[in-house]
Amino acid sequence: MSHTTDTRTDAAVTRWRRRLRAFREETSTAALVTVGTMTVALLASLVGFLLASPLTALPFAVFLLAAGVGWIRHQGLTARVVTFAMTVSTVLILLLITAFIAVESIPVIRYGTATAFGVPVPGLRLFTETRWDAVSEPIRYSMVPMIHGTVMVTAIATAVAAPLGVAAALFLSEIAPGPVREFVKPGVEILAGIPSIVYGFIGFTILSPWASDQFRTTGQGSYLFVGIVVGLMALPTVVSVAEDALSSVPESMKSGSLAMGTTDWQTMTSITLPAAFSGVSAAVLLGVGRAIGETMAATVMLRGVPQLTKPLYNVFYGQETLTSLIANNYGNAHGLQMDALFLAGVILFITVLAISIGSQYIEWRMHRKLGGEL
Amino acid sequence: MSETTPTSETDRTTTEEPDRETTEEPNQTTTEEPNQTTTAESTEADDSTNATTHTTTGEADERVREEWREYEFAGKPKFAVEDLDVHYGDDHALQGVSIEIPENSVTALIGPSGCGKSTFLRCLNRMNDRIKGARVDGSVRIDGREIYQDGVNLVELRKRVGMVFQSPNPFPKSIRENVAYGPAKHGDIETGLLARLLGRSDEAARDRLVEECLRDAALWEEVNDRLEDNALGLSGGQQQRLCIARCLSVDPEVILMDEPASALDPIATARIEDLIEQLSEEYTVVIVTHNMQQAARISDQTAVFLTGGELVEYGDTDQVFEDPRSERVEDYITGKFG
Amino acid sequence: MAGATRTPLIREDASRPEAVAGLAIAVAVALIAVGIASLFGLVGIDATLGGGSGMTAIGGVTTVTALGGLLVALGAAVIGLGVGSALGYVETEPSPNAGLVATVAFAGVWFVLGGLAASVAFDGVLAWLPAGAATGGAAFVTAAATREDVGSTLPAGAVAVVIGGTFLTGTIGPSWVWDLGFEQQASLTATFVVPAATIGCGLLAGWAAAKAYGGFGARGRRMGAYLLIYVNASAIIGVLFLLIAFTAVRGIPGLLTGATVAPGAGPTVSVLGVSVALPVSVPFVMNGVSLLNDFQGVLPAIVGTVWLVVGAVVFAVPLGVGAAVFLTEYAERGRLTQAVEIATNGLWSTPSIVFGLFGFTFLVPRFGGTKSLLSGMLTLGFMLLPLVLITSREALLAVPDEYRDASAALGVSKWHTIRSVVVPAALPGVVTGVILGVGRIAGETAPILLTMTGGTFVSGDRAADVIGGFAFTAQPPFVTNPELLRATTALPFQLYALITAGVGLGDNVSNPTEFQWATAFVLLLVVLSFYAVGIGARYYFRRRLRHE
Repeated sequence: MSHTTDTRTDAAVTRWRRRLRAFREETSTAALVTVGTMTVALLASLVGFLLASPLTALPFAVFLLAAGVGWIRHQGLTARVVTFAMTVSTVLILLLITAFIAVESIPVIRYGTATAFGVPVPGLRLFTETRWDAVSEPIRYSMVPMIHGTVMVTAIATAVAAPLGVAAALFLSEIAPGPVREFVKPGVEILAGIPSIVYGFIGFTILSPWASDQFRTTGQGSYLFVGIVVGLMALPTVVSVAEDALSSVPESMKSGSLAMGTTDWQTMTSITLPAAFSGVSAAVLLGVGRAIGETMAATVMLRGVPQLTKPLYNVFYGQETLTSLIANNYGNAHGLQMDALFLAGVILFITVLAISIGSQYIEWRMHRKLGGEL
Repeated sequence: MSETTPTSETDRTTTEEPDRETTEEPNQTTTEEPNQTTTAESTEADDSTNATTHTTTGEADERVREEWREYEFAGKPKFAVEDLDVHYGDDHALQGVSIEIPENSVTALIGPSGCGKSTFLRCLNRMNDRIKGARVDGSVRIDGREIYQDGVNLVELRKRVGMVFQSPNPFPKSIRENVAYGPAKHGDIETGLLARLLGRSDEAARDRLVEECLRDAALWEEVNDRLEDNALGLSGGQQQRLCIARCLSVDPEVILMDEPASALDPIATARIEDLIEQLSEEYTVVIVTHNMQQAARISDQTAVFLTGGELVEYGDTDQVFEDPRSERVEDYITGKFG
Repeated sequence: MAGATRTPLIREDASRPEAVAGLAIAVAVALIAVGIASLFGLVGIDATLGGGSGMTAIGGVTTVTALGGLLVALGAAVIGLGVGSALGYVETEPSPNAGLVATVAFAGVWFVLGGLAASVAFDGVLAWLPAGAATGGAAFVTAAATREDVGSTLPAGAVAVVIGGTFLTGTIGPSWVWDLGFEQQASLTATFVVPAATIGCGLLAGWAAAKAYGGFGARGRRMGAYLLIYVNASAIIGVLFLLIAFTAVRGIPGLLTGATVAPGAGPTVSVLGVSVALPVSVPFVMNGVSLLNDFQGVLPAIVGTVWLVVGAVVFAVPLGVGAAVFLTEYAERGRLTQAVEIATNGLWSTPSIVFGLFGFTFLVPRFGGTKSLLSGMLTLGFMLLPLVLITSREALLAVPDEYRDASAALGVSKWHTIRSVVVPAALPGVVTGVILGVGRIAGETAPILLTMTGGTFVSGDRAADVIGGFAFTAQPPFVTNPELLRATTALPFQLYALITAGVGLGDNVSNPTEFQWATAFVLLLVVLSFYAVGIGARYYFRRRLRHE
């Protein structure tokens, strides 16, 4: 096993070396110097920025200068190097986000160490207890109430967004007559554009008091209505991704079914939807991801008390989600409490990243299935 | 990926455009059309027995004569088409086509690209309804019953008039499900969870039907051991025969074929041609083809469409190929254009 | 192939049953509309029909009773359509059963119905489970074992009849309340249950009636499904319209407070050295908040939003477009492109609050340790980046390879081909993507909450002035701009702050509610105008492409 890996790495290294040599041979010395200066200067400014040094501006200025010189004298090469650096920076940003919020959350994971079967497990207590109290002893930062809240909101939002979204996508891609489509499609996009704080504001001023009155609850804020509002916000994501998947089913398949004398609804349910199934499920997954990450509507509509609802399925009370915890407490949090907020961020980030990668995998499989063999 | 990525949406207008092979000589058609239509109208007014429309392409500037399209045959016609006009938006795709197609025979429709033969074929089972902006005027009758009128049951029409497409389009399902698709959707055989639960599943009947259709499509020997496999894994020729089997499963009376062999290699093509000749004993086959030898080999009668969407000549295949009455058809058949 | 059913090619005239079914659909849709209206409180469920002014023409029938009557009639009509078809009075083409989805849905609805009825009747006893199972099972058997015409109308119609019956008999009257007995107290009240049940029954019965209208079978199912899908689509559009209209109606009075149209009424603006006094004065968008103002406004927030967007665009657009160029034009498909794809999609779905946390821990300490406009710009830039990258990449990929080949065949170098052929061809897609992306980030609150924002009410003279703020120093980092390093405000944050400010709001503005709604409306206007421009640009470019 290790042997084969070694040979493979060796091969890769030789290939890179060969490429590098070829590159050196076909590039003039002056261009090499310029590009080298750019690379070094950029790396230096990155290191400087990470160390929060005020001198960062110096290497960055050198980079800009070198890039300027390169642009005038060796435009093609410079462009290539600069665009490559830009590409790397996108990956770098994701890595930086991961690293920085993870590092910040470490102290609270240590604080939450509990022993299971005689072995100390860091962070275990954060998930086995349900108490969150940053003020009075014993101080505990349990994530359980917020995870419960996020799960409740996401479940309700998905129950709203998934069926309605898929139905709307079917409508847009298969049913709607041309002019209606031209009207509805931008409408769905605009729905995506309404800022979440506006949803939250309307929810807070209109929906929450109304719901509290209807269901005779004490105080305002319920998972049910936050879920519905968040579902409405996740809806456009589901619609547009699912619609893409549905319209990528080849027209010839649909005509094949229609020519058999099936109705267009039978064609949709038996041919189009199954063929686009992976794309549609990826759409629903992305919608779930949006619902999990939705912050402002949850923050202003929920009670902001990190507790479980009683009983657990009581959707008429809304306490706190992972996102609203951060938005509600960042202002007055210090030390461990702040780290706990970062932990909430880490949980959110990992969940959503997993969902994103999962949906990409599903879509990739669909493309292979539909595109590869046809 | 995102709801705000505009370029990701496939432009559906292009995907839904029919594969009508847009005219290859657009200049000629567009420049000459206006005055030509006026002449056509005037001729129609003076002399109805003479040509209805005027041609625009070809060596000779000849008029289409009614008698070139007259074809006498015994028995009742399966299809009787009268004055069929099709417009796609401003585009006049078929002009005043009148034709009668006899039962249990092979009728070949030939002609250069963009002459409207595929459009004509799609009129026979109303698949043109799917195309936005398509307007059909005139009359198409099957067994004497008009199919362009209110209250026509499209499901029943398409069950009676099956269609095989240019490129094989099996569903992304198993071979068995592909063949059983039509009958299952029409409720002729009952399968699935609910039927099984109630003990009403017709699996035996379905398997019989699948075997029968695959045998009729000359595919059974090749796939009988892998009916559960995905149909997309078959070769092109097998896929096309599967599509024919699928079409046979709903017991059609007519089978429309739109260049069914154009995407296949010569061996697969030969098998399909044999199959078509067999099928014509039981079914009425109407086939569009690009390949004149193919039309000469397999068809009983041939209709020649020329650019502008008009039917120029229709008759017994041997007569059309050996002694065409129209000069332009002769030019086309001998390869002077097209 | 033998045994295929034959149905007539041309349908016989069946106008009378179709008319009944059509009427039933109309009643169902009307019931749904009434249900929605009473959910919003537009129709009181205990209101007496004929108005409260003593018109006794309908004899003091309350809305609940009327709804009940309609529901019973609707249910009866639906059942009648099914039974009529089963007895052969109507020509239909029913399938052998109602279909798996419908069967399971019926079982579910009846399970809930039976369970709820039992829990209301025998409070606290675990009777709901067997009761629900019994009714659900019965519905399942009815739908699965009978022919479609009965199987899909009887369970649906019965729901409407049963629920309508409880309304009619007053079992559920206007003052009905059911305490759920939760530890955190919650009750179901008639004002919610009656409209919700009406909407549910309307959907169910309308669907069954649509099936009957289509003559059951494949065509009937198509009709039923289309009815639901059309209701869904119009509901989505309705919600959108309602949201915008509602915000506009509530927001416009606040926006126009103190607005005057008169020559020279507005503030003086100098363009190219010529000072012009605007003829329009809208204090809400031209003032900040200060004690001396007659009318308070949100000018600093608008300026802040504009600068945020500008900063994010300056940061993200070159980076995203550059990376997209590298990925499509230079990189071979392999590990790197895959990694970047995963990273961009990951970034794209990362919750905005996580970006906020990242900005808080990464950017804020590096820009002076306090919240600052610059941190906010960069954080939003990080958010915009994946969107720009994805759209630019798609636009670049859509450029046909023929363009590149044609240019390369002329001996033009790769970079020049990219610069003068590929990028211009992809520009419309990129521009549209950027505009739509900007619309998205302009409304984001969560990231700037942690990185940029200061007070709730900012006075007009503290609106950020980035251009005037630049200064050069001898110390590293040599360029300073205090404006960039100062906390400021933005529209979405302003709205959030107004929501959370609560009671203290009244001290600063005379009419807090109006002020809030006006802020929401201005925010909506700003964001939606980005969208309108983006969608318009896309439409324009598409049309131009088509005509070429």
